[in-house]
Amino acid sequence: MQQSRARLFKEYKEVQREKVADPDIQLVCDDTNIFKWTALIKGPSETPYEGGVFQLAFAVPEPYPLQPPQVRFLTKIFHPNVHFKTGEICLDILKNAWSPAWTLQSVCRAIIALMAHPEPDSPLNCDSGNLLRSGDVRGFNSMASMYTRLAAMPKKG
Amino acid sequence: MSDRILCKFFVHGSCLKGEICEYSHDSKNPVNNVCTFYQKGICLYGSRCRYHHVTTTPASNLPPSPPLTSDSESESTNLQQQDNNDIEKSSNVYCIHPREYPICSFAAAGDCPRGNHCPHMHGDLCTTCGKKCLHPFRPEEREEHTKECEKKQKHIEALKQSQDIECSVCLDRILSKPTPGERKFGLLTECDHPFCIQCIRNWRSSAPVSGMDVNSTLRACPICRKLSYFVVPSVVWYSSPDEKKEIIDIYKAKLRSIDCKHFNFGNGNCPFGASCFYKHAYSDGHLEEVVLRHLGSQEGETVIADNLRLSEFLGGLQIF
Repeated sequence: MQQSRARLFKEYKEVQREKVADPDIQLVCDDTNIFKWTALIKGPSETPYEGGVFQLAFAVPEPYPLQPPQVRFLTKIFHPNVHFKTGEICLDILKNAWSPAWTLQSVCRAIIALMAHPEPDSPLNCDSGNLLRSGDVRGFNSMASMYTRLAAMPKKG
Repeated sequence: MSDRILCKFFVHGSCLKGEICEYSHDSKNPVNNVCTFYQKGICLYGSRCRYHHVTTTPASNLPPSPPLTSDSESESTNLQQQDNNDIEKSSNVYCIHPREYPICSFAAAGDCPRGNHCPHMHGDLCTTCGKKCLHPFRPEEREEHTKECEKKQKHIEALKQSQDIECSVCLDRILSKPTPGERKFGLLTECDHPFCIQCIRNWRSSAPVSGMDVNSTLRACPICRKLSYFVVPSVVWYSSPDEKKEIIDIYKAKLRSIDCKHFNFGNGNCPFGASCFYKHAYSDGHLEEVVLRHLGSQEGETVIADNLRLSEFLGGLQIF
């Protein structure tokens, strides 16, 4: 408990210091609970997510960093490895390939990388995975960018 | 042995050694009344001293024993040598070889308040520690000190360089941890990423999640995922592969001197067998001899056979 708190506090200070360094990620800690974080990440360029801002919710378990944080998308996203309804993310480093050297910041980076390089062979969103697996990249791209416009972009007017 | 000196305890009527005393218990023999402190340079009693303040030893008397060899054995050998040399040496002025003089302990500790007026010999300056602690007439002692001093200096240097190293698990500086037990590095044998011993051990012993490959996650370096089979604790971080090897060798040597609790002097069974780091010795002291049984497996490869125990078969038996 004490250990995870100390480590999260360090990460908090690091985030404050690095704010300018990585403009794609905005990590914010809950005011009252250091085990709850939210992050805003920008959709990577040259992907259907470009221009969107996606919100992530982090729930940090007590044994952290020996156990990975639980991360899910709060913003709706059409991606083969993200559950369309719950926002759950299928990413090896958040499950069995976790290592205590990862930080919340680096997890965000890994999620941005996952958005740019989807893994259609282990899908949580079967419709999206099937589009990619059948080779319909255009169909996938238009679906994904439609949901990006609908859910991840500020409403005009 | 008529020219032995008179035992000074006997003179006062209280020699505990009695018959076997190496000094004479015959009151006709002369008494050695020379002040050894005065001969060495300074006697704090000055004119009030009850011993004679002379720089030469009276011809028939023995020289005072050297300060560093005061045990009775060397005294008696001195005595015999003296007996042999007595005639030719009788008129010589006795003087102690300079190597027998101790050096000024104040100067050796860093600073002597008396400076040049100090009656004691000041040692030469050790360039490593900056203290005047090298005895001018004891070469082997000088060499030993220089070696020791350089080793210490190296350790301090390494400690200084280790100060800023952070553990990637707790993100703290390892040598700034609150308790001394935590201020230790855990070296992985196969890569050079630093961790605290506590963090890396906690991670390696944490329960594996289902679907996790233990070798590529828990036993691997959290940063580079290189597989290391064991962790070596160390108070300093190394700067070269040789230093790392030295730390690992010292650690292994230390473990080899500790009896393995699984082996339990031959009464137990160590699961690590021949690769155990601890000592496998029987209670009479002889070491376990490891004979590996090699078997040809079905695929034509050679495998090492485990030791089988009858209890393993019997334990699985169900008796109706």
